[in-house]
Amino acid sequence: MADAFIFDAVRTPRGIGKDRGSLYTVRPTDLLVTVLEALRERTALDTKQVEDVVIGCVTQTGEQGTCIARFAALEAGYDYAAPGCTVNRFCASGLQAVNQAAAQVAAGWADLVVAGGVESMSRVKMGSDVGAMFDPATQWKIGSVPQGISADLLATLRGISREDVDTYALESQRRALRARDSGKFDRSIVPVRDINGLSILEKDEYPRADCSLARLAELKPSFEMLGRQFGMDTLTRKVYPHVDRINHVHTPGNSSGLVDAAAVMLIGSKKKGRALGLKPRARIVAAVSTGDEPLLMLTGPLPATRLALKKARMELKDIDLFEVNEAFAAVALTYLRELGIDPERMNAHGGAIALGHPLGATGAIILNTALDLLEERNLSTALTTLCIGGGMGTATIIERV
Amino acid sequence: MDETKNGAVKLSFDQDLGIATLTFQMSGKANMINDEFGAGLAEALAWAKARPGLKGIILASGHKDFCVGTEIDILYQARDVEELYRRVRAVQAAYREIETIGVPVVAALTGSALGGGYELALACHRRIAIADPRAQFGLPEVTLGVLPGAGGTQRLTRMLGFQVAADFILQGKVVRAAEAKEAWLVDELCGDREGVRDAAIAWIRSNPRATQPWDRKGFTFPPPAPGTADARDMVLVGCGLLYQKTAGAFLAPQYALSAMQEGCGLTFDRGLEVEARYFTKLACGGQAKDMIRTLWYHRTAAEKHEGLPSIEQLGIEQGISTVGVLGAGMMGGAIAWIAAKSGYQVVLKDIRQDALDAAMKHCEGLTSKRARHLDEVGRRELLARIKPTLANEELKGSDLLIEAVFEDMDLKHRVTRETEPLLAAGGIWASNTSALPITPLARASQHPDRFIGMHFFSPVEQMVLLELIVGRQTSDRTLARALAFCRQIKKTPIVVNDGYGFYTTRVFSAYLMEAAQLVAEGHNPALIEWAARSAGMVIGPLQVFDEVTLTLVRKAVPHGEKYTGRRLASEGFELLKTMVDDHKRYGRAAGAGFYEYVDGKRRHIWPGLGQVVRATPERSGIDLIISRLMLAQCVEAARALDEGVIQRKRDAEVGAVFGIGFAPNTGGPLSYIDRRGIRTVVRELEALAREQGDRYAPPPLLLSMAEKGERFFEAVDQAG
Repeated sequence: MADAFIFDAVRTPRGIGKDRGSLYTVRPTDLLVTVLEALRERTALDTKQVEDVVIGCVTQTGEQGTCIARFAALEAGYDYAAPGCTVNRFCASGLQAVNQAAAQVAAGWADLVVAGGVESMSRVKMGSDVGAMFDPATQWKIGSVPQGISADLLATLRGISREDVDTYALESQRRALRARDSGKFDRSIVPVRDINGLSILEKDEYPRADCSLARLAELKPSFEMLGRQFGMDTLTRKVYPHVDRINHVHTPGNSSGLVDAAAVMLIGSKKKGRALGLKPRARIVAAVSTGDEPLLMLTGPLPATRLALKKARMELKDIDLFEVNEAFAAVALTYLRELGIDPERMNAHGGAIALGHPLGATGAIILNTALDLLEERNLSTALTTLCIGGGMGTATIIERV
Repeated sequence: MDETKNGAVKLSFDQDLGIATLTFQMSGKANMINDEFGAGLAEALAWAKARPGLKGIILASGHKDFCVGTEIDILYQARDVEELYRRVRAVQAAYREIETIGVPVVAALTGSALGGGYELALACHRRIAIADPRAQFGLPEVTLGVLPGAGGTQRLTRMLGFQVAADFILQGKVVRAAEAKEAWLVDELCGDREGVRDAAIAWIRSNPRATQPWDRKGFTFPPPAPGTADARDMVLVGCGLLYQKTAGAFLAPQYALSAMQEGCGLTFDRGLEVEARYFTKLACGGQAKDMIRTLWYHRTAAEKHEGLPSIEQLGIEQGISTVGVLGAGMMGGAIAWIAAKSGYQVVLKDIRQDALDAAMKHCEGLTSKRARHLDEVGRRELLARIKPTLANEELKGSDLLIEAVFEDMDLKHRVTRETEPLLAAGGIWASNTSALPITPLARASQHPDRFIGMHFFSPVEQMVLLELIVGRQTSDRTLARALAFCRQIKKTPIVVNDGYGFYTTRVFSAYLMEAAQLVAEGHNPALIEWAARSAGMVIGPLQVFDEVTLTLVRKAVPHGEKYTGRRLASEGFELLKTMVDDHKRYGRAAGAGFYEYVDGKRRHIWPGLGQVVRATPERSGIDLIISRLMLAQCVEAARALDEGVIQRKRDAEVGAVFGIGFAPNTGGPLSYIDRRGIRTVVRELEALAREQGDRYAPPPLLLSMAEKGERFFEAVDQAG
């Protein structure tokens, strides 16, 4: 099996995913074009050499329908021979794209692949692709509730309190602001510009400098009404018959934010890198996905991490840094507590609670952040993982070379 | 009555009604959008808002027109995208302020509202217009290479839906009051100014809580709604229809469609940003500059006869009241008709009754089709002003005789000798010819100083251009009188010096002959046609060939050789000869030309062409063909300038664009050379001359300009 390497990685800043957000006026295709162009320029990429453009995108409808990967690559001026594939593994789609690319390279079926993700949550509303996951037939067979209910169920089962999640959220904000304002993200961020070249957004827009425990405590739980008055909590008893009252701790302040962004990285074999004069920044050591119980939904990172370590023949202590998507604070806290990780080594530059979670792009973004952090701190290995709808988990281990 | 500080807006408040009337009366002859307007509007709105008991606002005009749009100088001079974007956003914000001010606002359209002026009306809650047939409404921005940037793409689309809005915005369609009402561009028509005001007051009183539809909760987009499969299909078809018209050569309607589609999927306020970005891109770009220069500045200067002698200036009192037209062919008949339509008494003379009958029938057709504003009586009077006759004597006393007989020097000489004496004392003689030089034509004249060339374009009733040719002895007084006639018949003149083909026919021939040459060399005819259109040429050259007939061009080439002494024969000409002489492919009317025709409809390139042409070019491709077709015309235009046929650069541009369908997106042949870069063009011409012969040789003027790094026109866009 060949090794797959990351040669470079870029992303747009994350814009607030509402109609007041800076990137609301930008087509998702243009977000993707922005990073595809930047990647080509930074790596002096001959796009004829690109054997696939694999892009994660969750809500593949409206402007994100009809295989956005292909049309963005074409609009970015990539060679016709560079095809496009849009993948959906819910929240891990961006990491899935990277893993798929790495697998193609490792298998020897491809030598150079662009992988990443895109999501404009302001323009293409989460859930507007509707889908089958809440069909009664699915409900009666398996059980299916909105993620926020699962997040609160997780907090309840793990004894995670409102204070715990708010404290975690505040720390995420603090780290994100510090990282953003000290320019830690600049290396990988490409500003989004309009057709005139005028800047639309240059830095992550979501973090809040005015965050405090007191203010976080004022926020109303997001899923309490849905859970208690509309029966969602009861639906979980199909699998958790003993939980008679869910503690609704998650609020907009301690859950991931809706944002717009795109990210891509260049992945390929050592041979190809040498031929093109590209210096690998990291090797992809393991790339896995697995699943767990779907009603609780959000515990996937745990088995995914164990599986990745096993495939890599590594142990937890071999990992220098962790990036765990902060879909909800309880997810991150569960991960920390269950695996006994030093909080300083996880999400060192904050996470999706402060920076936002552009569904299909997040996996590629946080892997990029992990890579930048390894270089910044001169460390070697990082594990990136995300929880996923339907109870899945995806994880990727990288090692600097 | 109060006034804004800059005097742009008169302010009045009727305390009984609670209605503020803001009357725009900017310095100058018309209201237009500029800094004075912006400041005036802001001040006026603030003043109105401060009136206690305000119940409504009327936006009115103290000029003839309501508002005619953005001051073109601002557009033409804008080159800093950041600054222009900011300015556009400021206008958008000011307009937004109108529709969200909290009381009903009515636009009292007592005259034309165009472009930014109509957008101002769109930002009001109601548009009440005067039923004056002269008043015009619409968004003509794309015709100058830009798009409506003050909310027009967003408001009209939300108001009338994609299809209707696209119809107006993408074509820059401007309509008169009645049609504007029919299309809901205006809500209400009233007979006079007072009626408009009364209706505005009445509407305000019965709609005290007026808001814009897009600001109401539960606003539904006129179907199909953005984001639906139906809307996608409609926009896709919109792209297709647009491309059929533009062949991708015109950026403005393309960006306008993008702005409509993208902006209408967003909240109204953010949709405006999308529009502003596309507007800025266009307005600071080269295509808009080139189009504005020619289609606005040069055209306006030509329409105003700037720099040309006038009867007023020369103190000529003798007017023209009767016009004689000699020859009742296609041209003669139509010339007689437009002269009659403009109020002249016309005598139409021919030697054949059937020609006269056909011409009169044609005039009747034109009257019913193109004089719809006239009632039955008016139409009858129009036709009665044309007197068809076989008798020369009827021409006696004509102030102007326009000769429109066959393009034959001897025939024209004979007609001149026979009829010139019938002119009224001091009357002028005009020869309608598309190529024969005027000076030799005037040899048959007793008064060569009163002899001028008047090149009409077909179809006369549609084409705005009139090419006036000054012979060696033509006097300024004659030119001034011809220009006065030109103004009366509402044509736009270019005035050129004598020489075979004058200006337009030379450039036109270069276009056609280069296409024939390309075909003869074996370039794909379909590619030649598309190359021309994608460069912006209004009609592909082979289609033009079929329209003007191959026969005519086949005859014209030896003519040209005779008069210019230049050898014009080429493989292209040989091909023409073969087409006409051996294969009887005369053109569209014959049902056989470069194209095949079925029931008079053009189908496809004649398949037999493949047998006639056996050559294969060494290199081909769309870029090569575009270069050849465009540079062949440009070098001819430059030559005409160099030789003094063209005296004013504007005439080279206006003549080419309005006379022969030269790519309007480029601004004309000289603008095209500037845009391509004069040094590049000279290099390309020299290479082509080596390969293709002298017809590509750059004239001395171009060589010296290239050497000095000069341009024909000042660079105004970013790229320079």
